[in-house]
Amino acid sequence: MLQAGSAVRGLCKAIRPSAPIVKAADKAMAAHALPATLVLSRSQSNKPVVADNRVEVFVDDIPVMVEPGTTVLQAAAMAGVEIPRFCYHERLSVAGNCRMCLVEVEKAAKPVAACAMPVMKGWRIKTNSEMTRKAREGVMEFLLINHPLDCPICDQGGECDLQDQSMAFGSDRTRFLDPKRAVEDKNLGPLVKTIMTRCIHCTRCVRFASEVAGVEDLGTTGRGNSMEIGTYVEKMLLSELSGNVIDLCPVGALTSKPYSFSARPWELRRTDSIDVFDALGSNITVNHRTGEVLRILPKTNEDINEEWLADKARFACDGLKRQRLVAPMVKDSKGDLRPCEWEDALIVAATALQEANGSVAAVAGGQADAEALTALRDLVYRLGGQHVCTEEVFPDNGSGTDLRSNYLLNSSIAGMEEADLVVFIGTNPRYVVLVLPCMSPTPGAWCWCCLVCHQPQHLGDSSATVEQLCAGTHAFSSKLAAAKRPMIIVGQALLGQSQGGVLYAKICQLANKLRGSVEPSWRVLNVLHRVASQVAALDLGYKAGVAAVRQQKPKVLFLLGADEGAITRSDLPADTTVIYQGSHGDAGAAMADIVLPGATYTEKTATYVNTEGRAQTTLAAITPPGYAREDWKIIRAISEVLLCVFNVVAHEEPMNVMLQSVGAARVDGSAVLRPALLQLEDYYMTDVVSRASPTMAKCIAAVKKEKSNRYHSK
Amino acid sequence: MTTLSRILPSARGLLHKVSVNNVAVTAVAVRHNTTKTYGNLSDEDRIFTNLYGRHEWRLKGALARGDWYKTKEILLKGVDWILNEVKTSGLRGRGGAGFPTGMKWSFMNKPSDGRPKYLVVNADEGEPGTCKDREIMRHDPHKLVEGCLVAGRAMGARAAYIYIRGEFYNEASNMQVAINEAYKAGLIGKNACGSGYDFDVFMHRGAGAYICGEETALIESLEGKQGKPRLKPPFPADVGVFGCPTTVANVETVAVAPTICRRGGAWFASFGRTRNSGTKLFNISGHVNNPCTVEEEMSVPLRELIERHAGGIVGGWDNLLAVIPGGSSTPLIPKNVCEEAIMDFDGLVAVQSGLGTAALIVMNKQTDVIKAIARLMEFYKHESCGQCTPCREGVGWMYKILTRFVKGDAQPDEIDALWEVSKQVEGHTICALGDGAAWPAQGLIRHFRPVIEQRIADRDAAKAAAAN
Amino acid sequence: MALCRKILSLGSPMRQLVLSSERCLSVSTTHHIDNLNKKQVEPKGVEALNPVEKNLTITVEGLADITKLTGVPEEHIKPRRVLIKKPTKNAMQSGTNNLHKWVMTFDTKERWENPLMGWASTADPLSNLEVEFASKEDAIVFCEKNGWQWAVQEPPQKPPRAKSYADNFSWNKRTRRSTK
Repeated sequence: MLQAGSAVRGLCKAIRPSAPIVKAADKAMAAHALPATLVLSRSQSNKPVVADNRVEVFVDDIPVMVEPGTTVLQAAAMAGVEIPRFCYHERLSVAGNCRMCLVEVEKAAKPVAACAMPVMKGWRIKTNSEMTRKAREGVMEFLLINHPLDCPICDQGGECDLQDQSMAFGSDRTRFLDPKRAVEDKNLGPLVKTIMTRCIHCTRCVRFASEVAGVEDLGTTGRGNSMEIGTYVEKMLLSELSGNVIDLCPVGALTSKPYSFSARPWELRRTDSIDVFDALGSNITVNHRTGEVLRILPKTNEDINEEWLADKARFACDGLKRQRLVAPMVKDSKGDLRPCEWEDALIVAATALQEANGSVAAVAGGQADAEALTALRDLVYRLGGQHVCTEEVFPDNGSGTDLRSNYLLNSSIAGMEEADLVVFIGTNPRYVVLVLPCMSPTPGAWCWCCLVCHQPQHLGDSSATVEQLCAGTHAFSSKLAAAKRPMIIVGQALLGQSQGGVLYAKICQLANKLRGSVEPSWRVLNVLHRVASQVAALDLGYKAGVAAVRQQKPKVLFLLGADEGAITRSDLPADTTVIYQGSHGDAGAAMADIVLPGATYTEKTATYVNTEGRAQTTLAAITPPGYAREDWKIIRAISEVLLCVFNVVAHEEPMNVMLQSVGAARVDGSAVLRPALLQLEDYYMTDVVSRASPTMAKCIAAVKKEKSNRYHSK
Repeated sequence: MTTLSRILPSARGLLHKVSVNNVAVTAVAVRHNTTKTYGNLSDEDRIFTNLYGRHEWRLKGALARGDWYKTKEILLKGVDWILNEVKTSGLRGRGGAGFPTGMKWSFMNKPSDGRPKYLVVNADEGEPGTCKDREIMRHDPHKLVEGCLVAGRAMGARAAYIYIRGEFYNEASNMQVAINEAYKAGLIGKNACGSGYDFDVFMHRGAGAYICGEETALIESLEGKQGKPRLKPPFPADVGVFGCPTTVANVETVAVAPTICRRGGAWFASFGRTRNSGTKLFNISGHVNNPCTVEEEMSVPLRELIERHAGGIVGGWDNLLAVIPGGSSTPLIPKNVCEEAIMDFDGLVAVQSGLGTAALIVMNKQTDVIKAIARLMEFYKHESCGQCTPCREGVGWMYKILTRFVKGDAQPDEIDALWEVSKQVEGHTICALGDGAAWPAQGLIRHFRPVIEQRIADRDAAKAAAAN
Repeated sequence: MALCRKILSLGSPMRQLVLSSERCLSVSTTHHIDNLNKKQVEPKGVEALNPVEKNLTITVEGLADITKLTGVPEEHIKPRRVLIKKPTKNAMQSGTNNLHKWVMTFDTKERWENPLMGWASTADPLSNLEVEFASKEDAIVFCEKNGWQWAVQEPPQKPPRAKSYADNFSWNKRTRRSTK
């Protein structure tokens, strides 16, 4: 499953916060303040203590102690000296081809490439000597002679490494009198715009594509001055991580197509926030101007997304402006939704809720925030309602969602990085494959991980495989049993199936069985969620799945951004009043009697809990459009209309129940384990925002077109 | 391509016009104070006795010439003995860089960490002017096969890969026949020569890129990747082909090893000056009456080499303009320097050039030397791999300037610009191709600056005349 | 302390802020009473003041709160929330020189396009306030003093990452690279 795949990508260094998440959420709610301590730093305690075999080197006469094998560039960074670079990137393999990082080392005849050269004991590195400066100036001049002078019309202008470094290290005039090289642009699809004449051949994009995104689409053709970066036979860059090459490109050769010519970096205001398009909780920076989100960039978080971002999170932001609900609406006598004032809408909603006499239920969608979830839960309970549910399904047999570890991606910092074996069940590992091992700082952690991740073994397509694994009769069982740090990652999509509960029970059984052989404190069972709100909702006591609501047939159904069609009009009695609160006019609003316009994640300061149970806060970057308001404020306003004194009650922690032995439920061997999202074109539109995004629509069209191309390799 | 990084002392600081001119007149040949004369190698001291293909090149002929004679005994004498003989012989790499071969091979004798070791023979002879390895491979292939075995034994290699230039079709064919013959005769393969040592020889044909003659690019190419050089470290002796310890050696270096072992390192060392010992294949091409490849003693005077073996310059010695003494990558030396130049590593370094592959390109006074160097630069521009910036951009730039110099379409201060650009390329690239491309341009400016200036002045005058 | 330097150079009340703990549970603040009548105050900091003035210090125990004195409307004090952080690195650039400082940002208020010129307008006077600090403690004290609720966002931790060019060609690890 693509979505989940990208979600897992960053989880390699996941660490679960020690504080119960509900408290953080409620605290945020209660104080209406920014939670001060939500950014969790990585625990250092489990680092092995190694003998000090460090060597001393001198960077501009500053002594630094470094591990043997440290590169000159890293040693300089430790001394606080930043060496200019183009091709070097921390998270990619070392290429050493731009030559910008050349520095003088005392007693060496030639300047050395700092990014690739390991230091030797006692080296004296001179980052500002005559030789170093000459080398940099020379390289700068070479890079610029064939670089077009189109900075005034270049989207990279103002945030361009080549500009920055030519200001700092370059010469002020050119000696180049001959015609410049020109290169034909490539068409990489609807997201990445290419102006290949600007390319300085650092090969960051090539390395990213093959090492991180796992698509061997990009490469170099030709040689010497005619070398070009491209796809050889022109084709789309078929990756859900393609947008990252835009960030990586140190010049304006790869820029964002949707964002092209729309703003200059110095015009933008930047707000740090959290992505909600999947359950990963990637850290992002929302770039906006005049109350409009123009682009979204990743923000470094070593524990989650490192510094990558999936395309949906990056490019679906134009969906934030379309299909928006900008005014409250109430159905008139003819049954048509008519815009009205907030007062009217609130009074109609409150009246309906009061008249329901406790026959009230709520369903929360995938992008609901913890504050709104809390407010809605408390409202429904106050009114005497029984059921607050999520659209996403999770098995409730066994201890169900009572135990937090049942529904989290439990593996801590070791996570995927330290795991020696990863089994994906019902989720698509294709897109998880490469990042994790590539990012591993300890080469020793490869062995099994590479076997599983890089040469993934397909164990089977049906639930019978799970049974076999459980019984230990599968060919893979011996490997699983031998693993010291195995991870079983269960896709949420699998659990939503009719057989989900039984399968989950089986998988739990398997995980319990493995518990004996794995390292103490290692968590085998991991759940990979699909939507951003699910963990917070389960933390807050929401029931997974809408079955209870269908049974109850409530008089009033409150949909909080529930647009995936889990419950439809046909599931409800004709006299049920449906209140829909959300940001976009989608399936939920279409079946509603009362529509309350809410805010999207860029417009509210709200808490989300990701699949590993980490609470993070979005910060409002812009204000909601029209009459739309932050979600928890709307619910609070309803309750005030209802004259309920609406205290935010701290939710009790989930009961600490021992994992019960799972009953010997029989699995129907025919249940299919295929993940829901297998194809790239399915990835782009999964929620209201991305469904409203023209860019995502273009992506789907482009992928479909690409796949119909006869040169497309299956 | 040859790796020349160690041939020339770096001439840093020579960035100004004044100093450039100074250099032009200070080039002086240095001759050792010794009464011994070099050259005129006698036939019994030749190693490559079928250089001209007059005899049978197959196994039968090779055996008749003494190849594969007592190879088993050589192998049985052990690693240390072979290495010692090679060290005693003073053999230096024949591919251009001139690194002491014995030392290079001994780098491989580290304790094994489980990885196999490989010998890679660089038969990608692409340096313009150079045609020595192909003569060995087409007329004396068994020398190379036997050399692989001896050299491979010396470094404990599991196998040898001969990376042969793609254009060398016949040579590759002969080599393959020789390898097959050797396998059939039990000379290589399992229990090679009955020595109990298993050794395989494979041949791999390149696809016609000059850069693949650079040792790390060759390794990349051999691994099936684009032939783009790697940075060093890691040195191939540490991480080479397929990630295993590897030594890349030139065909000639490998091919002389068995003879050195048979006749003794001291015999080999008796030729040439100290640190430049041995015999060497010289290629003489260009404006000479009899272009040829000849095996000659090291340290032979350049003039003697040309006059004895190549029949002298077309138009007589006084018609000589300049010589590129070591393949296209080395700076040219003008006639006055040629008079005294000695063909060995130190002798040519002393005249600010290099022995390189010992391929002399002779130009007489009918040559347009600017055009000749511009043509070489076009070659380097075409063959630059494009991986690292200075070479990719700088060589193309130098070519553009030089093409304008040919017509005189330039400003006089561009000569200094060209000098500086060549200095910006030299020493800043990943491999030595950048250096090799920069040196010809430097040699041109060093010795023929007045010619360029005259050409520019002539054109300006012609333009002015046309305007009037 | 960039702020303090600014204040000193302006000759306004000088403060030496001593933090007793990171949590700023108690902050003792030392005030120099600025003699406004004094005409020849050289803007050179404490040293420029004569010994008599140096002695004119009053130590205020506890948190300093200047909200009562500044005349800033309450709407810009009580409900405002400040995020104290190091500047976020722009993912498009690799340079880090601008990240070695602490800044404070206010919660976002509405901005709209001005119909006259198409520029962005705002009714929030604080949204463009950019104050840089050498440490987060400085920023915290500044916020406390001005009565803003604050939160600190710690900068991302960078675990040391082993980089090895030789790994690209490794024979038995997945660090081996197939392309360039």
